[in-house]
Amino acid sequence: MCGWSRERGLPGNGGDHRGPPAGPRVGVRPTLPVLLLAALLAAGCGRRDPAVDAAPGQASAPQLLRLRQRNEPVSLDPASTALPDEFGILRSLLEGLLLPGPNGGPPEPGAALRHEVSADGLVYTFHLRPDGRWSDGRPVTAADFVASARRLLTPATAAPKANVYFAVQNARAFATGAITDFSAVGLRARDERTLVITLEWPNPRFPATVASGPWLPVRTDVVERHGRHWTQPGNFVGNGPFVLAEWRADQRVVVRRNPRWRDAASVRVDEIHFVRFDNGDSEDRAYRAGQIDATMAVPFSKVPAYARERPQELHRLPMIETRYLAFNTRLPALGGSARLALALAIDRERLTERVLQGGQSAAHRFLPPPLRTPESGTGAPHLSFNPAEARRLLAAAGYPGGKGFPRLELSGWTHSQALEAIQQMWRTELGIEVAIVIREAKVHLDALRTGHFEIAFATAIPDVADPAAMLGDFLSGAPLNYPRWSHAGYDAAVQAGDYAKAERHLLEESPIAPLYFNSKVFLLSPRVQGWQEDGLWARVYQGMSVVAPGKR
Amino acid sequence: MLRFITSRTLQSLLALFVVITATFFMIRFVPGGPFTAEKAVTPEILANLEAHYGLNKPLWQQYLDYLGSLARGDLGPSFKYPNRTVNEIIADKLPVSAELGALALAFALALGITLGTCAAVYRNTWIDYTASAFGMIGISVPTFVIGPLLVLLCAIHLGWFNASGWYVPADRVLPALVLGFAYAAPISRLTRGGMLEVLHQDFIRTARAKGVSEFRIVTHHALRGGLLPVVSYLGPAVAGILTGSFVIETIFTIPGIGREFVNSAFNRDYTLVLGTVILYAVLIMALNLVVDIVQAWMNPKVRLEG
Repeated sequence: MCGWSRERGLPGNGGDHRGPPAGPRVGVRPTLPVLLLAALLAAGCGRRDPAVDAAPGQASAPQLLRLRQRNEPVSLDPASTALPDEFGILRSLLEGLLLPGPNGGPPEPGAALRHEVSADGLVYTFHLRPDGRWSDGRPVTAADFVASARRLLTPATAAPKANVYFAVQNARAFATGAITDFSAVGLRARDERTLVITLEWPNPRFPATVASGPWLPVRTDVVERHGRHWTQPGNFVGNGPFVLAEWRADQRVVVRRNPRWRDAASVRVDEIHFVRFDNGDSEDRAYRAGQIDATMAVPFSKVPAYARERPQELHRLPMIETRYLAFNTRLPALGGSARLALALAIDRERLTERVLQGGQSAAHRFLPPPLRTPESGTGAPHLSFNPAEARRLLAAAGYPGGKGFPRLELSGWTHSQALEAIQQMWRTELGIEVAIVIREAKVHLDALRTGHFEIAFATAIPDVADPAAMLGDFLSGAPLNYPRWSHAGYDAAVQAGDYAKAERHLLEESPIAPLYFNSKVFLLSPRVQGWQEDGLWARVYQGMSVVAPGKR
Repeated sequence: MLRFITSRTLQSLLALFVVITATFFMIRFVPGGPFTAEKAVTPEILANLEAHYGLNKPLWQQYLDYLGSLARGDLGPSFKYPNRTVNEIIADKLPVSAELGALALAFALALGITLGTCAAVYRNTWIDYTASAFGMIGISVPTFVIGPLLVLLCAIHLGWFNASGWYVPADRVLPALVLGFAYAAPISRLTRGGMLEVLHQDFIRTARAKGVSEFRIVTHHALRGGLLPVVSYLGPAVAGILTGSFVIETIFTIPGIGREFVNSAFNRDYTLVLGTVILYAVLIMALNLVVDIVQAWMNPKVRLEG
């Protein structure tokens, strides 16, 4: 009903009725309709409204930063949001205990000035800043963080990212309703400014979890007072460097500098506009028209042109995201060494440099560079392009020269050109045929979840910058373990924190074949300085500034 | 007349019920759900979410619950936007699409009827050929080609307008033009056809014989009959144009309801899918009724019967 044809409005009949020869005669001079038409067109293409110039920012206007917002925020509530760019808005309004570190480095102090860890690595004590204030003037207390966590973990809240708290003792049990007494959960306010967190098991990367979006605090009394309207401007109370000024659904979210923020003097930008675009080409045109200062992505086809014409505006940021192929290990043909053969027959450099050409980098292992720990540096797991070995393994699996290998389905929801390249590589190197199936995104994701696929294109983005969060997806019985793979050695290695060993198991057994690490290629106006964004889309706005506001 | 309206309303209500029922079950049988995401939620969280929205109840129970709240005029909560209800989303976005649609329709009617009439009056002259060429181009070139071209020209190179957005009055111009062109083309073709037929009828010849000016013949005598095909086309067209256009709203980033028709289905936002379908169905039915009444008024040959 709402397809392309809807506004093309095809007429009911041809409209050209054959009749006896017409006899238009004198009367109206042909110039009249022409004039009429010209007047109509002129009315449409009038001069530009002066208000348009005012909208993007005047020369005398305060520092204004206009960013592209990909997704309309489902809510401005950390208990309802799930997507990184929604948390991107929230990070301007709310401040967690810790902030994401620059360039993927360790987290930095946020609402908590410092923290210490017990000798057994199980108890974290956070000391809040004495000058922390909510935007209504009330001090930020440890009890606020406990109340926020309690609200998010309460089953009736139905928070999609409650799992990010599951590292905390008994948090999972509380979220599933197995226990109802929150005092059993390892989160306690020792006094007004001291928060003590007890973990289920030691995790040196726990600070990364604390710096993640779902750990942003809310004022539960404000939530109770306004109900579902608490996220509206006027009702919203935050502890971040900005306050919510405007939220027009599917248009923009505007935040303004918070004069009550603890370090308000250090905030240079007066106003941030998160401008909504769900289309990359529209966003690109708006950037070129000077309506936004930063885009989220550059359409692949336009990357070479921008690299040539505006190299100083084109930026590339490696993301913590691995795109991979999941093999359904329950299929007999994909049960043994054939998986590794398929993984070795993929030329990843060719895939990224010749096919995708969008700034991605070849993934010869599963963990993206920002998540690799020093101990995995020596003798790092590595998956190379090795067609000879691939042919040998395929023969060992009982399919010499690809003979007898069933015609499997290679499915995905996007990037068909990458799948076609892989199809070609397998045909050339191994002599096997696969059929490509492109499905609508949710149909594909549902097939992955329910195991109704053969070989599927998939993506891994962790909730927090922690290798355990990424490798945990392939633990036996894990919900995101799409290949339905189970390996005792792998499970033990992940739980022991030996990520290099775990990754080596993952590559040797090949329930998945890593393809490439995604990166974000975007345009940033040279006027914007101090841009800070990490591989999980988390931005820190405090250090950003705009040198010459207004139009370029 | 009253009997006709009553009977048509009852028929429409029955059709609406069928539409609601079919949509309710069809969207549920589509693979994936509102909480299916690239980063899947864990099973325990999914259970919480489904309980929160009542999705853990049997399907027939959910269906009855939905009909019950619908009878009270409540289209339910959105699954995608937990802080908003479907009623609020429609109330927020329909006026935007309706405003754009009204502007585009006014432009389309003015342009289409003028062109079509001129083409009919000056049949087989350069005016006719120009108008017909416009009609063919307008029908053949999709809005997703004209839209970005106009943006490149008027917004990026000439700087007259914003490339996208819906903030100031000037932001209405480009999308209304593009959407209007798409409708003006078929309207001009229909007008030309209708006018040609009428202009050869006896009563026009009589008027000419009486010495009525050609301009007056067109405006006072021929248009009323000549526009009949346009009126029957306008019923569904107005419903379509007022409920927004996915393509135009995406190209120009307009916060209208048109995008929700498509995005709600992608998001599996069950209640919003139903809300938009009901909205569109009611509009179509109401406008078709209006069209029938208007046609009876315009054309003495049509009589309304129950």
